[in-house]
Amino acid sequence: MRNPFTLLKRRWSDSRKARTDGGTTSQAGSILDRDLVRSAPFWLPPFLLVGLFIYGAIIWNIVLSLTDFQGLGSPDYSALDVENYVIAFFGGTPSWSELTVSPIWNSAWNTVVLMVSFSVVCLGLGLVLAILVDQEIRFENTFRTIYLLPMSLSFVVTAKFWLYLYNVETGLVNIFLGAVGLGPVEIVQNPDLKLAAVAFALIWQFSGYAMIVYLAGLRAIPTGHFEAARVDGASTIRMYWRIIIPQLRTATVSALVVLTVFSLKAFDFLFSMYGGYQPGPSADILATRMVREAYANGNWAYGSAIAVLLFVMALAIVAPYIYTQYQRGEL
Amino acid sequence: MAGLAGCSGGGGGGDGGNELELLHAWSSGDGNAAIEALIEGFQEEHPDVEFAEEPVNGAARSNLDQVVLNKLQANDPPSTFQTWPGKTLEKFDGAFEDIEGDVWDEDLKENYLAGPQEQAQYDGSYVTVPLNIHRINNLFYNTAVVEAAGVDPESLSSASDVVDACATIDAETDAVPFAHQTSGAWSTGQLWETILLGQAGIDGYEAFINGNGDREQVESALDAVVDLTEYYPGDSSSISFTEANTMVMDGDAAFIHQGDWAAGAYGNEDGFNYGEDWAQVPYPGTGGNYLLNMDSFPYMANNPSPEATQQFLSYCGSAEGQVLFNEKKGSIPPRSDADVSSLNNFQQDQFEEFNAADNQPPSVQHGLAISPDIATNIGNAFSGFLESNDAAETAEALINAFN
Repeated sequence: MRNPFTLLKRRWSDSRKARTDGGTTSQAGSILDRDLVRSAPFWLPPFLLVGLFIYGAIIWNIVLSLTDFQGLGSPDYSALDVENYVIAFFGGTPSWSELTVSPIWNSAWNTVVLMVSFSVVCLGLGLVLAILVDQEIRFENTFRTIYLLPMSLSFVVTAKFWLYLYNVETGLVNIFLGAVGLGPVEIVQNPDLKLAAVAFALIWQFSGYAMIVYLAGLRAIPTGHFEAARVDGASTIRMYWRIIIPQLRTATVSALVVLTVFSLKAFDFLFSMYGGYQPGPSADILATRMVREAYANGNWAYGSAIAVLLFVMALAIVAPYIYTQYQRGEL
Repeated sequence: MAGLAGCSGGGGGGDGGNELELLHAWSSGDGNAAIEALIEGFQEEHPDVEFAEEPVNGAARSNLDQVVLNKLQANDPPSTFQTWPGKTLEKFDGAFEDIEGDVWDEDLKENYLAGPQEQAQYDGSYVTVPLNIHRINNLFYNTAVVEAAGVDPESLSSASDVVDACATIDAETDAVPFAHQTSGAWSTGQLWETILLGQAGIDGYEAFINGNGDREQVESALDAVVDLTEYYPGDSSSISFTEANTMVMDGDAAFIHQGDWAAGAYGNEDGFNYGEDWAQVPYPGTGGNYLLNMDSFPYMANNPSPEATQQFLSYCGSAEGQVLFNEKKGSIPPRSDADVSSLNNFQQDQFEEFNAADNQPPSVQHGLAISPDIATNIGNAFSGFLESNDAAETAEALINAFN
């Protein structure tokens, strides 16, 4: 993934350099001869398409969230205000509805809890798995495949699958809990366990991905570091903790970004587990709330406002990563 | 094909021919058989009308609504689509056209009962044609199981009688007394509205759907639901409606409260016969009421095929079309003059009860009685109720759903 802007900048400075070196061609000829112009047929169409459909759509969505667009018809862009955000934070009766609209705190909080717990546990588990698989064990490839396999399943499949596993009477999870004396427990509709159960299933699905990223990171560390640590008499735990793990920072950050994005997609999982976009207050996330507002109620502008808030949350997590990469000149 | 249609959609459909664009979500099972039968019957009478029939796949209706809304935003309405009548129509406010006189002639007005006729109207004009009626207030039971426990469902007369009967079944047999699913909120929503109708009567029920519900009545009906939870299957939160219904068919459960689509599965099961192995009573306390869930086809304004659409809707309003459709769907025709002799015995009994019913109130859970945003609030209330089983808190949320 190379940023088109950087590419552009480099191209410009290249051509400028050439000019100060004393180009002899005429001005008009030099514009047409520039790399930037000559390569335009290759980069311009995707650049415009991405610009229009990704960034254009984001901007349109932000504008839409400032309107009162509700129901059928077309939005009125002449009167923009932040009412939808006020409603999102404080609740109340907006001008476009006769009903009271509740604020988004509950689903925002659930989203954060899900995002953080899922990402952190996934990374931890992925690291442990990667270190284990890295011990030059037998059947290494087989284990790697087994751990990674759940990721190839769609959320719809895993949601139905875990619905079976969590079954109070016949589910494997409850049979196991029964065997260790914790008795069968209601999980799927238990307000205290619901969100944890969703996070657990997602962790099962994606820790294999974290493992692969870490494994690649581990393989990139020269054997000399391991040997030097051994020679200096470091214990295994100390070696990993002080020497190896600090070198996995880049792997951690890039895995974290991808995992965060996956957790925002938990909508599919909740939708198929609870048969719709009403998973109940203790598992309601911003994505389900957004779809309810937009498609069940036709509150398009309010749905857009929730989408913008979700976007800002995702950006808040991804931005520091992009920024550090930029500072290190890796972008 | 769909992609192509999408690309040229902005153009506005072009020649305005006689091609009827019909959107529905009956992409499989009995629903699909029913719509095929209806279209086949219609085409025999009108061989010149072309169909661009598009089943919209996915989670039943919500996905279909989305497709229709997108088309309406793009100013490219279909000729007609499958929708619940009543307040659900508010979601498509302004997208319909009055068809009184053209489709809703004297014949239809005479032969539709007051309840369904009211649901066909939006803001006082007739805009849609109800095609079938599912009843919500049924209590189905496995005859062998209730007999083994010494319970006579016919003798039950209130919601608390059902709870007592469940206690007896629990004590006397190994079967689950009340098959119910709680992974999604809709089954519990319709159970509650049925009990409310029984306890508060038609007046209390209508007060609720008009936003003037009595808190105590609402909470008392919720309490009755809480009393029943004890008799649900232990794993109710992990099963679907189909699995709960199968428990009744297998003799693993005694009762199930459901719309009469549940009976469709019984009819397909060999050796599980109406009147012998299973039967139905109106949910105790709701006798004399036929709690309605209907599907209908509206007439869209700016119609791409005006003449063909009117012909089709008139056919949907005819006794012949309705019988063809309902034969396969398992529901009953809304027209009281329909000849139901080709329907099965259960449908015939339901049809008789429908025509004799004192009231035909619209269902809350199935979108007839309340506008979509209130329905979302009520859905939220019940998805919370499944977690907490807190009647007081849920009653508060249900009353506030209208504010």
